[in-house]
Amino acid sequence: MAGFILIAVAAFFFPGVILRTKSIASGRKGPAIFQPWKDIAVLLRKGSVFSDTTSLIFRIAPSVTLATITGAMLLLPFAEQKAVLSFEGDFILFAYLLALGKFFTIIAALDTGSSFEGMGASREALFSMLVEPAFFILIATFAMFTGYTSFSVIFNHFFITGNDYVLIYSIIGAYLLVQIAMVENSRLPVDDPKTHLELTMIHEVMILDYSGFDKALIHVGTYLKFALYGSLIYNLVVPAGWNVILQTGLFFAVQALFAMVIGFTESFRARNKMNKNPKFILTLTSIALIAFMVILILTEKLA
Amino acid sequence: MVNYLIVLFAVTLIYFASAERLSTYVRLVALQGLLLCGIAVFELKEVNLANLLFIVAETLLFKTMLLPYLLSRIIRKSGVTKVHRQAVPGFYLLLFSIAGLLISVILAVILVNPFINSIYLAIALFTLLTGLLLIVTHKLIISHLIGFLVVENAVFLFSLAIGNEMPMLINIGILLDIFVGVLILGFFGLRLKPHTNELTMLKD
Amino acid sequence: MFGSTAFLVILALSLLVFAVPEWLKYYFTLGLLVAGIALTSSWSTGMLTGAGQAYELPLFTAATGTRMVLVIDNLSAFFILVVNFTVLIGFLYARGYLEPYKIRMNALRFSIHYFSYLWLWISMLMVVMIRDGIAFLIVWEIMALSSFFLVIFDAEERSIMKTGISYLIQMHVGMFFILVAFLLVQQDTGRMSFDALGEYFSRHRNLPLFLLFFAGFAIKAGFIPLHTWLPEAHPAAPSHVSGVMSGVMIKMGIYGIMRVLASMQSDLLITGVIILIMSLVSGVLGVMMAIVQHDLKRLLAYHSIENIGIIGIGIGLGVIGQATGNGALSLLGYAGGLLHVLNHSLFKSLLFFNAGSVYHAAHTRNIEQTGGLMKRMPWTAILFLAGSLAICGLPPFNGFISEYLIYMGMFGSLSGASLYHSILIVGSIAALSLIGGLAIFCFTKAFGIVFLGEPRSEEAGNAREAGRSMIFPQLATAALILFIGLGSPLVVKPVFDIVTRTWNLGSQPLVTGAFTANLAQISLAGGIFVVTLATLLLYRRYHLSRHVVETGPTWGCGYTAGTPKQQYTATSFAYNYNHIAKPLLQTRKEIEEIGEDEIFPHRRKFLSHSDDLFKRNLVDKPVDWISGLLKRIAVMQTGQIRHYILYAFVFMLIVLLLAMLKII
Repeated sequence: MAGFILIAVAAFFFPGVILRTKSIASGRKGPAIFQPWKDIAVLLRKGSVFSDTTSLIFRIAPSVTLATITGAMLLLPFAEQKAVLSFEGDFILFAYLLALGKFFTIIAALDTGSSFEGMGASREALFSMLVEPAFFILIATFAMFTGYTSFSVIFNHFFITGNDYVLIYSIIGAYLLVQIAMVENSRLPVDDPKTHLELTMIHEVMILDYSGFDKALIHVGTYLKFALYGSLIYNLVVPAGWNVILQTGLFFAVQALFAMVIGFTESFRARNKMNKNPKFILTLTSIALIAFMVILILTEKLA
Repeated sequence: MVNYLIVLFAVTLIYFASAERLSTYVRLVALQGLLLCGIAVFELKEVNLANLLFIVAETLLFKTMLLPYLLSRIIRKSGVTKVHRQAVPGFYLLLFSIAGLLISVILAVILVNPFINSIYLAIALFTLLTGLLLIVTHKLIISHLIGFLVVENAVFLFSLAIGNEMPMLINIGILLDIFVGVLILGFFGLRLKPHTNELTMLKD
Repeated sequence: MFGSTAFLVILALSLLVFAVPEWLKYYFTLGLLVAGIALTSSWSTGMLTGAGQAYELPLFTAATGTRMVLVIDNLSAFFILVVNFTVLIGFLYARGYLEPYKIRMNALRFSIHYFSYLWLWISMLMVVMIRDGIAFLIVWEIMALSSFFLVIFDAEERSIMKTGISYLIQMHVGMFFILVAFLLVQQDTGRMSFDALGEYFSRHRNLPLFLLFFAGFAIKAGFIPLHTWLPEAHPAAPSHVSGVMSGVMIKMGIYGIMRVLASMQSDLLITGVIILIMSLVSGVLGVMMAIVQHDLKRLLAYHSIENIGIIGIGIGLGVIGQATGNGALSLLGYAGGLLHVLNHSLFKSLLFFNAGSVYHAAHTRNIEQTGGLMKRMPWTAILFLAGSLAICGLPPFNGFISEYLIYMGMFGSLSGASLYHSILIVGSIAALSLIGGLAIFCFTKAFGIVFLGEPRSEEAGNAREAGRSMIFPQLATAALILFIGLGSPLVVKPVFDIVTRTWNLGSQPLVTGAFTANLAQISLAGGIFVVTLATLLLYRRYHLSRHVVETGPTWGCGYTAGTPKQQYTATSFAYNYNHIAKPLLQTRKEIEEIGEDEIFPHRRKFLSHSDDLFKRNLVDKPVDWISGLLKRIAVMQTGQIRHYILYAFVFMLIVLLLAMLKII
């Protein structure tokens, strides 16, 4: 339960930190840390406009996405406590729940009958398909290394051995998770969240037609998803056995660091040319395979 | 320490397959030279000091500084378009690179030998396959040169793997480096055109 | 339990379909079906809930003195239940589906259709119950023939007849392999029966005989590259038949493979690896080819190939587990595969029936001509959505459960495995996740283009909801899908028992206990998800009721003349994917390029089509080559009798010459 609450709390700060980092990097002062959530409060006060073309799917999709994200949040542990739902193979449920959310976002985009949103839907479907193998290979290396198949148990057994290669492996794993998080949350260099114009759009354009309550739900879901991935990275990097108070502090520090990394990447890196994106995402799978090779060395199959 | 360098070396090979610009290639080659220098320093403990200093100097000066500098001058002088032209789209190049990684790991397990460290063998084979892949899938001569440089790094890595037993091999590897350097200098001297595929296409 | 005489009575009564008056035909057939289903299901459930021993039902004694028996063991019982459910649902659906055809076709064709349907069901049941070799082949042949008659129901279109005949030929090629395999067994042991396999396998190398059986059964199941009949036959058949064929008939191939595997004793590792690799290829290539189809039923047919691949992955893992002595892997692999057989029959038949409703409403199978059907056919749309979510393996539906079991088999075996096994298993994990991602791509395209957005043609704009008789069977299937998804521990426990008894794995209380607990947690997660969703939706309704809600056109960035043609089409949705997968798909485009001096270009047509690479190289090219060869020989067929007499005379001369020279 602690993990769930901590992720929710981190989600309050996360988007603000990203925006602030980006502003400071461009030489401006930037909005307040809680500004994105004040925007959500404004959205909740507004009414909604729905398109004639859309149907039931458009109306329920944001709720489905938010429900899947909260479901996924229940699966992540913190410190040595088990997650609310913990069983063997829970990472499969994690990945597929998030995929369910993406499915509904994509079909809701197609529901509007607009060519913008169709374009975004097509790209999102392709990129999320290409990033799945990278995530699963990474999880497979976790399972190979620790011999367990449940998030809570894997992270408890992660830093037991003190081999050199373990540090390399966790660095590669953390790097990979950061990249996967950036792809799944549609940030640079895959997608530009500032615009919805044709050249850059994937995620922003899929939610173009939403207003009011639904838009608020989508934003809440996005922020929670960031914190979700941040929690995963935290679990990978920090050993589970340390003092709980220290870990809580470290948790927020890691989340803030993750947000700043995203902010800096967005400020200084150009967006990929759209048809080079599949290659970029496939690079993630290659790096996951390098991690697999390191695990083979660690488990002495490749002496 | 060596382990970090080896894994970083493998990561640079992945980036070779996904890089877009020729200047990125040059930077990666320089990085590989630096990593090889580091590996040589940490790995070769049984070689006498003079030989070790020679190897370190050679990798540092030649591989990391001189060759990349020459390459970047050629690139700038001949006005080659920054993005290299390929015959095979980048996506497939990456798939072949992944296949190369798997093949080299399997081969390293099959060719297990008490004198050779299998990790070195695996990474060296992977480097070799990446270099060959670069040569086979690209059209420009300068890309072929860079592919050849990568193959040569592979040879150097092979020789490092058994370097403690036969230090002479490493020196022969260095001679290969010098040979490539002469090749590159040739582009300056003879004013050949590295941004075309003239030298590599058969004409009737 | 009435025993086998009742069964024989039902078989005999099926002939009466021809004699019954027209208005009664459907109900008579339905009655026979229900009676037979009740009978055989009672045998199955009796078997499964009993002690688990196989029992026999004697039929009759053939002229040669061999006793014909129906043997029902655990595996047969499972398949009987799977077949019965889908066949019944299909027939209930057929009532509404066949309505529009009653005007065009006479009573005789309907009789033939109902009779073939009955016999397809009967032959499928007998396939899983018969052990004797010759009887098995006879029933296999009856299955092929009856499905042939069902496929050519709409044979007024010439292409359908051609497809049907090509289907029949390919089925016979498969049967040839099975026949040769049985003959080998007979030659060695003197008996032509599945029971003799154990004896054969203990004396000879297992792999060659297995490969022969596998070739024959794989053609029926639809593994790549032996799948070439599937994408042609399923769209050509009427939808209730496609649903039954895709849902249960191709599983008969899987049954055959499982039956052979249950007797195998050695060479298990290489067999497992071969099955695994072929299934991975089938899974990935099947769904890759499905994405670019624009005929809805062809798309679903390719997905069947992909799901057969997933079932094969489960089976392959099970065999590898047996070979390496890893009981948990074996149990999970086989159980995942077997459960996926059930799951796939459910959601694939649901999708095909749905496609039939769409076809009737919009009068086209081409998804580029549909759109916006959600508003006009809401029930059909929701059912298609449920089927799509299930086939992509998304929680809380049943596809997730079987894929979960297969994944857990793979993840669980990683820690102790050797290097090669690790590479194979990690490759399989990556491939299975890729299959899931590709399936999501494909079904977002299919559901989005067909049901959402604006109608792309006038017919689609005028579509009306399907009749209740077509919707209720689909609802029943969807309810079962949801039940298996949310209540999986109840379903998986019997499947585990079936697997342990069929393959003699010994009971594995640790694994079954652990997994029942895991699945209970998954059901809990599914429940929490549904409750969260319901809460959100209720709050949303309350919130919207207190604020202003308006409607308007979709935001068009300043366009004042938006038309439905501006929407994304299916081809454009799959365009970036097509670009990557070009070597496999070989999409060809037919367009007349605009010339340089054409200032006002005239109207043009654009056609893009993706052929099946395997069909072109394995079937079309050899067939063309052979027909070319035969055409030259056909010169001898002049049609005039004097030439033929001359041929006979020349033949006699040659025989005389050869006899004189003592050659023959």
